[in-house]
Amino acid sequence: MNLARLPRLRPTAALGGLVFVLFATWYAASSQNNAAAYLLFFTLSSLFIVSIPHALLNVASLKATTESVKPTFAGDEVSLPVEVTNQSGKRRYGVRVQVPDSGGDEQAVDEIAAGRAARVLIRFPARARGEYEVKRLCLASAFPLGILRAIKPINCHQRFLVYPKPEGDPRLPPDRARSARNRPRTELGEGDDFAGVRAYEPGQSQRQIDWKAVARGHPLMTKQYTTEATGALYLDFAAVSGDDTEARLAQLALWIIEAERARRSYGLRLRGTEITPSLGQVHFHRCLRALALFK
Amino acid sequence: MITKRDTRIPRRPLLWLAAALVFVLPPMFDGLAPWVPTLLLVAITTKFWMEPRGYRLRFLPLKIALVVGALVAIFISYGAIKGIEPGVSLIIVLMSLKIFEAHTAREFHFMVMLGWVLCLCGFFLAQDLAIAVCIMIAFTLLTTALIQFYRGLAGGRIWQPLRAALTLLAQAVPLIVLFFLLFPRVTTAFRLLLTPNAVSASGFSDRLSPGSVEAMANSTAVAFRAEFPDDDVPRSIPLYWRGLVLTQGDGMEWRFREMLRSSPQFHSGGTIRQLITIEPHGEHWMFALDRPVTEPPGASLRPGNYLRSWQAIVKPRRYEVKSSLELARQDLQPLERKQLLEVPASISPRIRELAQSWSQADPDPHAIIRRALDFFQTQRFRYSLSPGEYRKNDLDEFLFRRRIGFCEHYAASFATLMRLAGIPARVVIGYLGGEFNEMGHFYLVRQSDTHAWCEVWLPDIGWRRVDPTNVVAPERVNSGFESFLERNAAAGEITPRFSRTFARQPFFAKIRLTWQTLNYVWDSRVLGFDAEAQQALTHEIGLPDVRPVSLLFLSAIIAAGFVVILATWMQFRARVQPDPVQGLYTKFCAKAARMGAPREPTEGPANFASRVSRVLPQESKRIATISNCYIGLRYARDSDASSLHALAREVQLFGSWKRKNRKSYAGR
Repeated sequence: MNLARLPRLRPTAALGGLVFVLFATWYAASSQNNAAAYLLFFTLSSLFIVSIPHALLNVASLKATTESVKPTFAGDEVSLPVEVTNQSGKRRYGVRVQVPDSGGDEQAVDEIAAGRAARVLIRFPARARGEYEVKRLCLASAFPLGILRAIKPINCHQRFLVYPKPEGDPRLPPDRARSARNRPRTELGEGDDFAGVRAYEPGQSQRQIDWKAVARGHPLMTKQYTTEATGALYLDFAAVSGDDTEARLAQLALWIIEAERARRSYGLRLRGTEITPSLGQVHFHRCLRALALFK
Repeated sequence: MITKRDTRIPRRPLLWLAAALVFVLPPMFDGLAPWVPTLLLVAITTKFWMEPRGYRLRFLPLKIALVVGALVAIFISYGAIKGIEPGVSLIIVLMSLKIFEAHTAREFHFMVMLGWVLCLCGFFLAQDLAIAVCIMIAFTLLTTALIQFYRGLAGGRIWQPLRAALTLLAQAVPLIVLFFLLFPRVTTAFRLLLTPNAVSASGFSDRLSPGSVEAMANSTAVAFRAEFPDDDVPRSIPLYWRGLVLTQGDGMEWRFREMLRSSPQFHSGGTIRQLITIEPHGEHWMFALDRPVTEPPGASLRPGNYLRSWQAIVKPRRYEVKSSLELARQDLQPLERKQLLEVPASISPRIRELAQSWSQADPDPHAIIRRALDFFQTQRFRYSLSPGEYRKNDLDEFLFRRRIGFCEHYAASFATLMRLAGIPARVVIGYLGGEFNEMGHFYLVRQSDTHAWCEVWLPDIGWRRVDPTNVVAPERVNSGFESFLERNAAAGEITPRFSRTFARQPFFAKIRLTWQTLNYVWDSRVLGFDAEAQQALTHEIGLPDVRPVSLLFLSAIIAAGFVVILATWMQFRARVQPDPVQGLYTKFCAKAARMGAPREPTEGPANFASRVSRVLPQESKRIATISNCYIGLRYARDSDASSLHALAREVQLFGSWKRKNRKSYAGR
């Protein structure tokens, strides 16, 4: 096995305790010339020495892969799904998975059978908006004796988005666009009037799937409806009052949520970007993404 | 980084810890005030009630009050705070309080550490094999508790942590042996502030007073064990183990007096070699077959040919000694002769008359001895281990009225009578006989084998052993296992019926022998292995005069090598057993990747096959076969061996088309 890829060993606080007990045992044995105490001293030290390869090999053949992370709002928790695979032919115990420097808890996997995998969800706080990357995971285990902690760092490239924290005035801004554009074009999406079918795309609402057609053996299609555009709402960065960029983005995020909840078609105007008004999950995330990446 | 939340200790590790602590208790109940281990037991039991409810000792003044109270209680129990027993008691009390208080992961580990310290304390109090077995079980269970704790919160299979602990310990055994043999046994110059624990098991003393042997006669405790490495055990004669020579006689009481001038007799030829492992008795005497003629290391041969250790024997000690059954005649100095004829003035005229009547009838010492023995044989003397009480000046009472007693009475009175009749005499105390263990080939001599006999000096042959008990109770001298059991029965230790029916069963006899042998090995090889034995060992393996530092280095290097070998072996054991089907398919995928069609992680075998066929249309037939075989072997309910062969062949041939092509290009 590649020595350079062996896990690192870190002593825990318990090592200090062990050293103290070992010293006390040795001292007692030698000053009393007590062979039984010597035997205890040798047993304890040999046990510790033998536990070193056990601690190393317990995490050496573990592999971890991350899965895609759902975007979250700043201030909430990021949930990173991790799959830990045991690539060895032996059962492994007491593994803890952690994202270093994330400020989050570590998740414990008690036991992974040979050749099997375990899934954990690591949660850590989402701090500020933006795009992040989890570059490193740590698999650690204090098994078997808790005196040494074997740590195996694992590189990964899991990107995730943190949307701005939605804050501010929940009332939607007055619809200025309506007067400017007479009867703007209707947007396909949720509405009352049937407008035809279209191929299903992941993320679309399941309620709109043409299940009758599926039953007849057709591929998944969604029924499209149109809404009379009573007035597409343009959420404009420039129109938000205030000087603080973050506060303005937070206000926009809140409005996007409110508009989506009220089922009002909305568009977004940022410096250099414009997203035409629409509704639905895809559009919702597209807008928030633009906010998250705004510079 | 263990999160410092106010977590509860999971139940399973606590169970293992409790089990471990129960096994630490036996030596504690043996050597300490009973309330101390009881407190620990109560603490363990209560913890299981407290822990699920979240109760624990939180209030700081209460904690302090409890610690102070414990200190006071210890002081009242022992009258001191220093010393082994109070020290161990203090640790146990603190452990009990810690159990009441502990609730976090860190504290759990601390409790296990304290458990290790308790194991050590157990070895301070007692070191015999039974205690050692208990403590080793406790140690294993403590390891199990740690493993259970660090394997995760969910319990998992119950016995798995125990198995893991035993595996760890088994793998540690070679290292333990290595360290035990080679780790330098330096004696730290500064002594621990602990008084050596009183060895109460001895019973032997440097005086023969009425009743002193009686007290030991019912003790089954081991005195020493002897091995005859040259296998020249004198089977035909009784084994007299010489301990101490008493030369000052006060009627029924005989005492040790350092006064003989003559040097001990050393002898070179015709000796019997013995390896003796002596149990600690806290005194200086050592034993050997009558009479020792060489000096073991750390001991000297005193005038009168008995052994005396330089230091008090406080731990099991193994020594080699040679004895000679016959010694050359040795002259007595006049002063020495005078001392050996001294009798107390309080001897009654009736006794003096008796002794003088023998010497007047025939002054030949041999005849006097014969008459004296005849006197004991014919005057209805009886042998009994409970003859009632005699006082120091009760020689008359014994010789003329009660006439009942055992070895010490006979030896004392006989030696006094000999002196009165003008023959220099002394009393020797030691042991007689012993139980031969056929499994371990050694003699087990117990405290109950204590014996006292006489030695008289004859002008023609020198010192000669005379055992007056032999004429009164010959069966005592030739006693074996049977009488041992009867003695036990008399002491009420085991009922006769129980012992007769069970001890005679071959199975139980074998268990008894095995346990005795294990005890012997433990005492002689483990407890008896000290700095001197280590030096002898290093000499034997060709490392004379090796310094402690070099020994330390040597053991460290061997240990490191062992760990590397162990790790390699473990890695080898943990390798994944290759699956032939998967291996062949992986090979196929690798080949396809080299030809420009790598398999995507999400691609199923059927999809992959159709894609590869599009990339490599020349091989489409083969690809289909491979794919079908693989799917069949993997997913079909009944797959046959022929398809595995077909898969192997096709995978082997897959891609050969391209190689052929390349060759033909090269040929152009």
